[in-house]
Amino acid sequence: MLSYIIRRLLTMIPMLLVICFLIFVGMELMPTDPISYMVGPEQIANMTPEKLEEMREALGLNRPFIVRFFEWLGGIARGDFGYSLTNGQPIKDIIAAKLPATIELSLYALLISTVFGVFLGILSAVKRGSTTDSALTVLGMVGISIPEFFFGLVMILVFAINLKWLPIGGRTLPEYTSYWQQFRHVIMPATILGISMTAGVMRYSRSSMLDALNRDFLKTARAKGLPKWRIYILHGFRVALTPVVVLIGFRLPTLVGGSVVVEQIFQWPGIGDAFVTAVRGNNYPLVMMIALLTVTMMLAASLIVDVLTALIDPRVRLE
Amino acid sequence: MNQDIILEVKDLSVSFYTDNRKNNAIRNVSFVAQRGKTLCIVGESGCGKSVSASAILRLLPELSRIENGEIKYYGREEPINIEKVDPDGDLIREIRGGEIAMIFQDPMTALNPVYTVGYQISEMLLEHNKDMKKDEAMKKSVELLSAMGIPQADQRVNEYPHQFSGGMRQRAMIAMAMSCNPKILLADEPTTALDVTVQAQIFELMDNLKKDYDAAIVLITHDMGVVTELADNVSVMYMGYVVEDGTVDEVLRTPAHPYTKALLASIPILGRGRNQKIEPIRGSTPDPFNRPPGCQFEPRCDYATEKCREAMPEREFISGEHNVRCYCYKEVLKDE
Repeated sequence: MLSYIIRRLLTMIPMLLVICFLIFVGMELMPTDPISYMVGPEQIANMTPEKLEEMREALGLNRPFIVRFFEWLGGIARGDFGYSLTNGQPIKDIIAAKLPATIELSLYALLISTVFGVFLGILSAVKRGSTTDSALTVLGMVGISIPEFFFGLVMILVFAINLKWLPIGGRTLPEYTSYWQQFRHVIMPATILGISMTAGVMRYSRSSMLDALNRDFLKTARAKGLPKWRIYILHGFRVALTPVVVLIGFRLPTLVGGSVVVEQIFQWPGIGDAFVTAVRGNNYPLVMMIALLTVTMMLAASLIVDVLTALIDPRVRLE
Repeated sequence: MNQDIILEVKDLSVSFYTDNRKNNAIRNVSFVAQRGKTLCIVGESGCGKSVSASAILRLLPELSRIENGEIKYYGREEPINIEKVDPDGDLIREIRGGEIAMIFQDPMTALNPVYTVGYQISEMLLEHNKDMKKDEAMKKSVELLSAMGIPQADQRVNEYPHQFSGGMRQRAMIAMAMSCNPKILLADEPTTALDVTVQAQIFELMDNLKKDYDAAIVLITHDMGVVTELADNVSVMYMGYVVEDGTVDEVLRTPAHPYTKALLASIPILGRGRNQKIEPIRGSTPDPFNRPPGCQFEPRCDYATEKCREAMPEREFISGEHNVRCYCYKEVLKDE
């Protein structure tokens, strides 16, 4: 097991290099000049071409593509992620400031979707064909099809504006003394993010569970005289678990990547929000770092999923 | 009333309901299982053999119903009418596994792949012996496995089903079924998925169990060879009806139903050489939703008469336990 994990981690290195290259090429192909975003339009009009050229030279934009790529790569290897083009802040600091917010939000959403999705999925499968099942199926479809921004706006309207139970947005306020006060801010965004994920997990758990319920060993379990919860949970769901773990595992990247839509609606100061601002501002060093961070998490998630699958199912062997 | 009778199925009918259609899976089926005896239920696929077995443990699928008849279980002081028991209740759960155990056709899929064999046997022991401890159950599992002829049982008990061969898995299934000393063992084609040598070993094992535990075995099969080897009594089923029933000698030596007779004539006999005449049964099994109006076997029967087209014959006793559902059984017997 350990040697497998080490081998997988080693194969990640060339993969990450290729991904870094692709990200860099993608950024290079963007047709805009970062200078025009750094400096206001009026200033640009007043600047001589020599002055602009000087700025490009100072930022290293004039050197060959491949040189810049390896400089960037070398920087990352040294832990120097570069500087934001808009305000000169180190990218490391920006990410360090935004990441906890995103992790907080995504963790709650992941928790909500896993608990409710799995529970409702099992319920739906065990009571298949019943009113409960049909109702959950419809709700699941609604949850999947209605976009997050719509849910978000409706929730803000109802719970923040009309009922005034919850704050409209943001993550925290300076006067807060306990986490509990801050917690009220995360309820709505986490619920919205959770709902769309719950629907997916629920449908997935349901079909996986139905599949398990039709297997022969379920009949064996019944013929053994076991109580229902043992049959459904220990025999049925235990076997249905693997695909569900895979699905949830591949949601892990949102932990660091954040959700662009939800973070925007609720002015959540997370990575998703930072990403949008960076793209708008053509702040390509930051865009690249966030992209790289998400991709790294994706690779890590696939390793985590593989290891978990092997732990859950004795038939799976890590090779 | 015969003291040895442990299970009596009487006039049992089960129907399946699909898309507003009703399939009479079994109709007025009767048979008895006796302590220390093997009852073989034979018949082709879809004739209702497995449905009868599932009905005994109330393991029928959701869209099915026991229409009429009785399943009487005599394993306790008072006889229990299993057909009236709540299929989700505590009583049937005590009986399942504890008193009537079942083994299934395909040992590859009947064991749960994610638990060790030992866990699955212990689980059953712990369920039916409330004061047993986990390590005792594990110890008993090892004993059971080695009693079923699994070498190095103390190690294999911690292995998963996929590490067992087909024959080993069926042995493990039988070990599990026998773990709580059941009074009846229902075996639903236990060797169909296994090769012939392993089949023989499994049957030998079952035959020993019958003697050692004084259990009644209800063996469902479509293999006439198995019947000759193991059975004390035989019930022949066709399209949901028991068409002939009796001791193995009566049924195999003097078949009274044309179907039994045709079935026996269609089996090659080892040692008779290549010149023996094997006669297939002509035609094919009718569609269960479009049954013949009268005797179910009538369209394929050599003895069919006008009367056969009108109604399914009632049970008629020929001698002792030997009974048959055929209007023309006297002619069939005469042709022997």
